[in-house]
Amino acid sequence: MAISPTVRTGRWRWLSAGLAAVLTLSACGSGSDDKGGDSTAKNITFWFSTSAQDQGYQDLAKEFQAKEGISVEIVNVPYDGYQDKLKAAAQANALPDTASAPGLDTLWINKLQDLSSIANNATNNINKDVTIAQEGKVLAIPSDVTAAGLYLNKSLFDKAKVTIPTDPAKAWTWDEFLAAADKVRTATKAKYDLVYDRSAARIRPWIYTHGGKGFQLGDDGKFAAPDPATVQALTDFAKLNNDVTMPKSVWAAGADPNALFKSGQVVAYYSGVWQVADFAESITNFEWVSAPTPAQPVHATDINLGGLVVAFNNDKKADAAKKWVDFLFQRDNYTKLASANGYLPVEKGLTLNYPFKKKEALDAFALYVKEMELADPISASGAANNTKLLLAGKTVDDGLVKDEMGKLVNGQQDAQKTVDNIVKGLNQQIG
Amino acid sequence: MALATKPPALRRAKAGKKGDVPRKIGASAVMWLLAAVYGIPGLWFVLSSFKPAGDLFSYPLTLLPKNWTVSGYTQAWTHFDFARYFLNTLIVASVTTALTIVASAAAGYAMAKYNNWWLKAFAACILATVMLPGETILAPMFVVVRDLGLYNSLSGIVVPSVITATGTFMFRQFFVTVPNDLLEAARIDGSSELRTFLRIMVPLARPIILTLAIFSFQWRWNDYLWPLIILNDPKQFTLQIGVASIVGAENVNWSVLLGASVLSMLPLIAIYLVFQKYVMSADINAGLKD
Amino acid sequence: MVDSAQAAPRSDIAGGEPAPTKSRRRPRSRHNRYTATPLLLISVNLVLFLLFFLWPAAIGLGYSFTSYTGVGDAPWVGLDNYERLMNDSAFYAALLRTLIFTASVVPLTFVASLGTAYLLVSQYAKGKTVARVIFFLPWLISPIIAGVIWRWLFGENFGLVNFIIIELGGKPLPWQSNANLSLIIVIIAATWANTAANMLLFVAALKNVPTSYYEAAELDGANAWQKFRRITLPAIAPTSFIVLLLSTLGNMKEYGLVIAVNEGGPGTVNNLIVQYIFQTGFKRTQIGYASAASFVLLVILVAIAVLQLLASRRKES
Repeated sequence: MAISPTVRTGRWRWLSAGLAAVLTLSACGSGSDDKGGDSTAKNITFWFSTSAQDQGYQDLAKEFQAKEGISVEIVNVPYDGYQDKLKAAAQANALPDTASAPGLDTLWINKLQDLSSIANNATNNINKDVTIAQEGKVLAIPSDVTAAGLYLNKSLFDKAKVTIPTDPAKAWTWDEFLAAADKVRTATKAKYDLVYDRSAARIRPWIYTHGGKGFQLGDDGKFAAPDPATVQALTDFAKLNNDVTMPKSVWAAGADPNALFKSGQVVAYYSGVWQVADFAESITNFEWVSAPTPAQPVHATDINLGGLVVAFNNDKKADAAKKWVDFLFQRDNYTKLASANGYLPVEKGLTLNYPFKKKEALDAFALYVKEMELADPISASGAANNTKLLLAGKTVDDGLVKDEMGKLVNGQQDAQKTVDNIVKGLNQQIG
Repeated sequence: MALATKPPALRRAKAGKKGDVPRKIGASAVMWLLAAVYGIPGLWFVLSSFKPAGDLFSYPLTLLPKNWTVSGYTQAWTHFDFARYFLNTLIVASVTTALTIVASAAAGYAMAKYNNWWLKAFAACILATVMLPGETILAPMFVVVRDLGLYNSLSGIVVPSVITATGTFMFRQFFVTVPNDLLEAARIDGSSELRTFLRIMVPLARPIILTLAIFSFQWRWNDYLWPLIILNDPKQFTLQIGVASIVGAENVNWSVLLGASVLSMLPLIAIYLVFQKYVMSADINAGLKD
Repeated sequence: MVDSAQAAPRSDIAGGEPAPTKSRRRPRSRHNRYTATPLLLISVNLVLFLLFFLWPAAIGLGYSFTSYTGVGDAPWVGLDNYERLMNDSAFYAALLRTLIFTASVVPLTFVASLGTAYLLVSQYAKGKTVARVIFFLPWLISPIIAGVIWRWLFGENFGLVNFIIIELGGKPLPWQSNANLSLIIVIIAATWANTAANMLLFVAALKNVPTSYYEAAELDGANAWQKFRRITLPAIAPTSFIVLLLSTLGNMKEYGLVIAVNEGGPGTVNNLIVQYIFQTGFKRTQIGYASAASFVLLVILVAIAVLQLLASRRKES
């Protein structure tokens, strides 16, 4: 069956236009990566993720270029899907030269350079407990650490004329705190005493401060059955979720505790240091403060790692990559970075001048630094466990803890069953 | 199916009859009731984008902003390279939409007007493409795209997105309603199959083309995970990647997110209004003289 | 209408096509006549289908018989994943919940989208341009924003609806803690978000119904409802069918909106099937298991599609 010539050219014209467009697009894309001609790389890439306006890395990149003549392309990758993107890049042999990654991935862990020289550098004075090392090779250095902590609605406390302790060394107990919160709530007709972030990481300090050990890896590499103190702590937690002290909807149904606290109707909010910058900008209807985490009797928090700074072994760019990471952690540079980006530092003994204009924010940071110094060493165990598993090539999904805790708060099971399910589930995941 | 349709003037005159006023009131009332139900959530969203960050979650709740501000919008505009991402998204959406329309119209027409058994099998295959959740074939599809050399290029987003079961079946269902007599008549007139398709059938399907264009634009506009994974060069990032960069790991800057979302929706609304006007005013019956 | 008397056989037609007389009723011995054209027409979709669906799906199917974790090799485990799936009560719970969800959303969306399309096409409703945008906006909103909106409206603690209820003196409802109420919210949100797409399909279909039909019916004295039932519905039947089918399949795969509105809660009660696949499979890097669950879902969806097809065939006859 013949196709009439005019129709054929007409149709082909469309198709070839489309094809041309597609080919141009693909040329636009992949062409820029093939700069394999450089013998010494003049530009490297650095991926990281932030939702704030980044100033720290940008400024340092400028100085780095002035000093070494290497330009750093800083790419802000959204957090949601960042890990998948790194995985895909590894599979496509297109990893960036350096990155601040949300977590290490077994897929590309063997492509990382050794950062020992940076981590062990005495002038940097990096906290060795937070670097990730495997058999003497330092794979990653976190750009910052994060800690969990308590926020209070100061306006409500002032209205009820209840005082807030300020010294973490003389922290109140949970009972004292809850009593104070009760008093504030009834006096000011607020809705709830406390909202508590819903995540596996955040429930850890609750357990620790009540004297429990939480979910720890045993020597056999498997999660051990938790101690009775943990079970008791979780039972107490579930009891508090009674829609008077704490709203059930957060842990049972995923309501946003951040939004609840910002409504000004909740006396306290247990979250972490990352809220400080956000609160400084977006809470305008009432005053807030950071308060010491209650201790009953253990003084603890949950210390977690921020972005993990890594350098990939990308052939010709490897040296330049290492230089950039080295530059980042040099004492003066890191001080500038941590100050500008509002990081809790991984290097010890720095004097940081955070750019916050609000006094609450500056006070909050000072409090967090102090709290971290006083925190029981178990505070970092959560992150340490995750690292251990990762280096063994396993990953665990914290969603399990959230789900089981949700069932607990919802009254579907008791605390003992909850922890048993969690341990069983976690061990199932690590195989 | 006897008479040709009446000329437009006569048809319009009928609408001015007496019993129409209650009809107008009734129909308008129902429509506005529905519009209110559908609109209130959207209205809160748009109004909230004009609220300062501190008022977004305040209690008691307010619909209207107490202090109107565009800081969410200005922050959104400067948070990432809005204009460039917008352009990239526009390119991707336009090219994909054009290709999608061509592919879907052709395949839909084939499935509607030809009787080969393998066309029916193919229809089933196309339908099967909506039966696997996207997340499942994401990783294997990435392997395919990588092996085809489409990684880190806008074509890596365009090409896999051209095939759509919805689009194909939209055209199929439309062409099914086109009487075969038209096709037969064209064949008698000596027109080849392809020529009939291009010169007669495709113009008839203009409302479907425009509707699919609206769909395709929206799908590509709101693509997030796939462009994120495929693109490495920030100069090629699409709008949703920029908007997602406002969502942090642990918290969200809501006022900026709302501003960015409203801004990113405006082009879609514009396209919708323009295309819908043609769909609404299309006088399809003119082509089918029954 | 072309007079069929003109259909005399002509031997000089390009391509050698014989006279197109009442060919439809003849036995199809001429099937090879129209092979090249349909093949060419579907060529683009065919190639894309093979490359970007069949190939990845085959890989995925392969994974489902292994215990692949996303890294390294994929040890063969045969039907282990499927057996595990069949014995997982959480899978059935999620499946049931998804069926309930779909069975609620599909009729609601159908009625809403047909209704709004009808109003938008009718000559009687005033102010259609603005209404058009209002109906369209929900479909543009991304799931994360939609989640915030519906949580704000139906938030258990400080939501607008509960606020109004309290102001009116009633007791606030546990929109988030009660499993069924929470599902209802998601159903409403899904209907709200998905109406516009189907509405557009119906608008195009409604415009396609020849006005001569309506005029003939009016001459016969039919009222609006009769016209709707006797003329409109049958005329848009092909579109109705595809709207129902695609709507069903799409809602069975719902994930983003549910997560944004209630995260599959309270607890895990409202985990729909794709969330189950995600949580137990992809999040825990059990790619093999997730793939197996996905293919079981595929089989279920095929069954649903076949059922709908049979039902529509029966209705036609």
